Order: sequence, then structure tokens, then C-alpha cells
Amino acid sequence: MKEFNSLDDILDFAINEEQMAADFYTDLAAKMKNQEMKDTFEQYALEEIGHRTKLEAIKNGKAYKIADSKIVDLKIADYLVEVDTEKTNISYQEALILAMKKEKSAFKLYNDLASATTDAASKKVFLMLAQEEAKHKLRFEIEYDNNILTEN
Amino acid sequence: MERSEEYIKNERKKEWRVELQKKTKAKDRMTIERVQMPESAPEERIKSQRIEVNKGLTAEEAMREATRCMDCVNPTCMEGCPVSINIPKFIKNIERGDFLQAASVLKETSALPAVCGRVCPQEIQCEQRCFYVEKLHQPAVAIGHLERFAADFERESGKISVPELAESNGIKVAVIGSGPSSLSFAGDMVKLGYDVSVFEALHEIGGVLKYGIPEFRLPNAVVDVEINNLRRMGVKFITNFIVGQTESLDDLKEEGFKAFYVGSGAGLPRFMNIPGENSNGILSSNEYLTRVNLMGADAEDSDTPVLRGKNVVVVGGGNTAMDSVRTAKRLGAEKAMIVYRRSEEEMPARIEEVHHAKQEGIEFSTLTNPIEYIADENGRVKQVTVQKMKLGEPDASGRRRPIPIEGSEYTIDASVVVVAVGVSPNPLIPNSVKGLDVSRWGTIEVVKDKMQSSIPEVFAGGDIVRGGATVILAMGDGRKAAANMDIYLKEKYLSQKVEH
Ligand SMILES: Cc1cc2nc3c(=O)[nH]c(=O)nc-3n(C[C@H](O)[C@H](O)[C@H](O)COP(=O)(O)OP(=O)(O)OC[C@H]3O[C@@H](n4cnc5c(N)ncnc54)[C@H](O)[C@@H]3O)c2cc1C
Repeated sequence: MKEFNSLDDILDFAINEEQMAADFYTDLAAKMKNQEMKDTFEQYALEEIGHRTKLEAIKNGKAYKIADSKIVDLKIADYLVEVDTEKTNISYQEALILAMKKEKSAFKLYNDLASATTDAASKKVFLMLAQEEAKHKLRFEIEYDNNILTEN
Repeated sequence: MERSEEYIKNERKKEWRVELQKKTKAKDRMTIERVQMPESAPEERIKSQRIEVNKGLTAEEAMREATRCMDCVNPTCMEGCPVSINIPKFIKNIERGDFLQAASVLKETSALPAVCGRVCPQEIQCEQRCFYVEKLHQPAVAIGHLERFAADFERESGKISVPELAESNGIKVAVIGSGPSSLSFAGDMVKLGYDVSVFEALHEIGGVLKYGIPEFRLPNAVVDVEINNLRRMGVKFITNFIVGQTESLDDLKEEGFKAFYVGSGAGLPRFMNIPGENSNGILSSNEYLTRVNLMGADAEDSDTPVLRGKNVVVVGGGNTAMDSVRTAKRLGAEKAMIVYRRSEEEMPARIEEVHHAKQEGIEFSTLTNPIEYIADENGRVKQVTVQKMKLGEPDASGRRRPIPIEGSEYTIDASVVVVAVGVSPNPLIPNSVKGLDVSRWGTIEVVKDKMQSSIPEVFAGGDIVRGGATVILAMGDGRKAAANMDIYLKEKYLSQKVEH
């Protein structure tokens, strides 16, 4: 497992992860055939940049809190098959699945890092990061629940 | 149709209405019990896809039910109707026995009353806003049953009036798709004097009314009468013609079409994206219903049979799911089951359909969600792994969302699975027409209430704009689009200034 030497180290890692996610979506946007899906992925990229900015503020001393209540996990993504990111005609449903799964794995990563560390301050940062990812995932899950899981 | 409050109030004060109001006291109206729709017996009707479940009211039943209506000063029922049908006026015409007049009131606003009387979700629209429900906590006046009665009476009387047509103005207009939205659009435009051609991809006209909703709920004959009326009025129907494939919108423009109405619907089935979903024996409700309703796959000697099975599992809780599961029963399934991830309360299907399904022996597994399909050695589905769900705490939007209960998984035997978890817009037009603004859901973006797209001569409405919605909303869109396209075309080609 990756070694971290300081809290800043942890935050730098997380900031980089957000940037990588943004780049991933920007690349997908460029590949899409339809304008509306280009727009969708560009928006996801912007959201990741937003997450990065938030972490940078924390690194620069902004206070953060870990909420007491657990973020709801609708577990929608857990049972869905992976989306093929090679194709150029990803649907909005698939875009949401992709995003949910990405946030889920980031959540899992930080949660695992939190469990593995014994340093209290580091643990707190990891838990905060995990919570952030859980929130991001919930946002996509709610969109999926509201718009895709609608029978007629 | 735009109607002022004052108009509605004045109508209510007409002599014949006042007479009826006086004839029976409110107290006596209230003692009448809501009419029960006569139904075919469940054990009989499940033998055929083509036996209509609801048989319709007799004239006496309809007049008695109409007497329940209080002719309210402030008819809240009209607010519940997406197209604001003048409900008290048509019902009071039934009460006084003038059924043809009742039908003509319906037609002032609704192009397809015999259809809407059968398929509208009245319990969440007009009937939910009825005085009986809001103030007395009693069953609503059976507005839907009465609507059907008046429309059927007119049709069966053979006295369907063909509306007056304006003089032909020679302007050619093309309609893409022939569902309820397109039909109502075509009707209004032909009345206004336009030369209207409807292009339909399938070999039948009617969209979901024909290929989706089964005949046990909506007989094709009811829809055909409306289509023939449009034909008599001069609308041309061209079948087996896919706009964007057979010919493009630009080709049609070159052939002289000046404007377009896109009513191409939401016929692209959605799947869940769970493991095993592409096993044999798993099909979309769309394919399943089309094969039966349009290609006669329910006939024993059909050339294009549909998969039949002992155990049929239908995933979903909407009208599409109910139609599929009840179709499965009629095709001989021993066990036909609904699997739905939310609770019965949240099912979007019409309450009547859920009720009829239960009468027919359909099993319901609610708060249950498929997570995987298991196939046999030939790749044919044999089981569905499902998981129990529970409703979580209400979230910020007040909704209780289902959450899986871990460890609650079990399997259900299934020889056929029909997936009815929603539909997406037909992608051909949105993808093939340059310059057309499309949302990320694949719906065409239009100016609200005008139904005009980002291309001025292209209007759109119904499911292609709303995603999966309802017949009445699709129809309402068609009418709005016609009114606005008329203004657009008159200003552009006939140099007429039209008041907006
Ligand atoms: C099984 C089922 C049951 C339903 N039950 C109810 C109900 O009980 N009550 C209710 O209110 N609503 C119900 N609905 C929803 C309702 O039927 C739809 O909202 C409504 O039909 C939408 O009308 P539309 O005119 O927009 O499109 P549709 O009815 O979908 O018609 C679109 C037509 O366009 C054609 N088309 C598509 N692309 C092209 C092209 N490129 N060129 C030419 N033609 C094309 C299609 O073949 C189709 O015939 C149900 C839907 C389904 C599927």
C-alpha cells in the first residue's frame, strides 16, 4: 500500500486523483459522437475540478468536519456491469453507471486507507475524503434513481 | 383550448344546467354509489389477448353516475386534467341524456376521448381533484368511465361528425411517427387547411396505442375509427417509412414540405445492465408486446411466434410491466410474476391495471430487485437472482428510496424474462438532424408550450420531448404544436399577421 509521510502528502495524493478523474472525463468528452454526451462528460470533469479546489482549500488551512451521520449508500452501482469506455456512443445511463462506479472505488480506497492507518490525524483526513466520495456517489445515484429507474 | 373562468361559469348558468342543478338535491346525489365498471370474468378473459376487460357502462348506468356529479361552481376536476376538458359540461350532458353533445364537448379539447377514457390515469388526474375525494373523502365521480361512455356512444351511433375544414392553403406539412401526439397534431392541422402527410416506420398507424397497449385494454378498432376519420379529412398516411433512413428530413424538404412535427416517441427499451442480461429468453417489453400486438404472435399458428414459458418474470411496475405480465398469462404462463424494486404504493401503473392483474392471478414480488440472471448450458435464462429491498429514510426531496438488504438474495425460476424498466427516446431523429438541440436524455429540446425546436420549422412533442409520459400529455403537445406551427407558417408563407 502507498506510503504517506504527512497530511499534505495525503491531500496532494487526493488532489491528484481528482485531477486524474477530471482528465478521464475530458478525454471521454472528446471521444463522444453526440454533443449532449460531450457536454455531460465535460460537466462531470468540471465537478471533479470542483472537488479538487475544495481539497486545495483544505490543504491551505480551511477547516473541515466529518459529519456524524453516515452518507446513504443506495448501492445501485454495486450490481451493474462495467461500462465499455472504448466506445464512442456511451448513453446517459452508462455515463451515470460509470460515474457511480468511479466514486464508489474512490470511496473504497480512502476507507481502506483509513482502516490501515494508525495515525489519528491521517485517519481523520482519509475518513473526510471517503465521506466526500460517498457524497459524490450519492449525487449520481439519486440522479439514476430519479431518471433511469423510472418505469412507465 | 384556452377557456376563461368566466366562460366556464357562464356555461354553468345556462338554463338546462340550472334545471338539472335544481332537479336533484346535492344530498340525494351523494347517496348514489359510484358505478362499478362491468368486467369480463377473469377466468374467461385470460384465454384471449383480444377480449376487452372493461365492458363499458350502459346508458342507465352512465346517467346515474352523471347524476352524482355536483356541477361544482369551482370544478377542481378540470385543474386535474392536463388538457382541461370541460368535465362538468360533458357529464351534465350525459345526465340529461344528450350523449352526442357530451361527446362533442370532449372533442373540443381531446382528439381521442375513447382512448383517454380507457387509458388515462384518472385516479391521479381529474378524479383525484373531484369534490367527492377532496371534500367528502368518498370515491370520485367515475369521470374516466363516463368519458369512455360518451365517446363510445358517438362511435357506435355512426354519427361521428367530420369537423369543418378550412379552405386548403396548399402548404405541405410532414409528421414523423403516428402515435397519439402525431394524430392529434395531424387532426388540427388538416382542419386548418394544411396538406398533412404522416410518415410511420411500422406497418401500422397508431404508435403505442397499437403496438404497446394490448387489445384487452384498448381494442384496435377504437383507434382505427379515429385514424379513418383523419383519413376522411384528408390526412395522408405513409407506412413502412423511416424518416432518417428511408428518406432524410432534408429529402422531405426538397419534396416541398415546409414544416415538420416530430412525434417519434420513446420506443428505445432500457435495460438494467446487470450480469447475464443478454441471455436468451430475456427480452424487452417493447419487443414482447410488439410481437403479440402487432404481429399476432399470440395465435397458435403464428409465423412470428414469441417465446412462451411456464414461469414468466416481468421486471418493473409501470403500465408496460402490467401489460406484459398480463399478456404472458394470456399466452399460457402457469406463473406470471411482477418483480418490482419499490413498494406497491409507488408503482406508476394505473391502479385499475394492478387490480385487474391481481384478479387474473398475477403474482407480485415488490421491494425485490433482480441482480443477476443465470442461464443454462445453452445460454437460455433459467433463474433470476433477486435481492430484497427496504425503503430508506426520506431524503431531502422527501422520497424514500429503496436500499438493498444484504444477504437477502434468493433465486426465482424463470423460463422467460420481460424487462420493463423504462424507455428512452427513439434516437434516429435526434441523432440524424443537424442543428437540433437534444438533451442528455436524448429528448428533443423545445420552447415550452410552443413545442418549437432549435430549428424553426421543426416542432416536436409527446414522448420524444418528455421521455416516457402519457397519452393525454402527448396529445396535448400535438395540439399546442399545431396552434403554434400555424402561426409560424401563416406569417412566413401567407404573409398573414397573426395575433399571438
Ligand atoms: C405498453 C405501454 C403501455 C402504456 N400504457 C399507458 C396508459 O395506460 N396510459 C397512458 O396515458 N399512457 C400509457 N403509456 C404511455 C403512452 O402510450 C405514451 O406516452 C404515448 O403513446 C406517447 O405518444 P407519442 O405520440 O409521443 O409516441 P408513440 O405512441 O410512441 O408513437 C411514436 C411513433 O413514431 C414512430 N417512429 C419513431 N421514429 C420514427 C421515424 N424515424 N420515422 C417514422 N416513424 C417513426 C414509431 O414507430 C411510433 O409508431 C403506455 C406505454 C406503453 C409502452
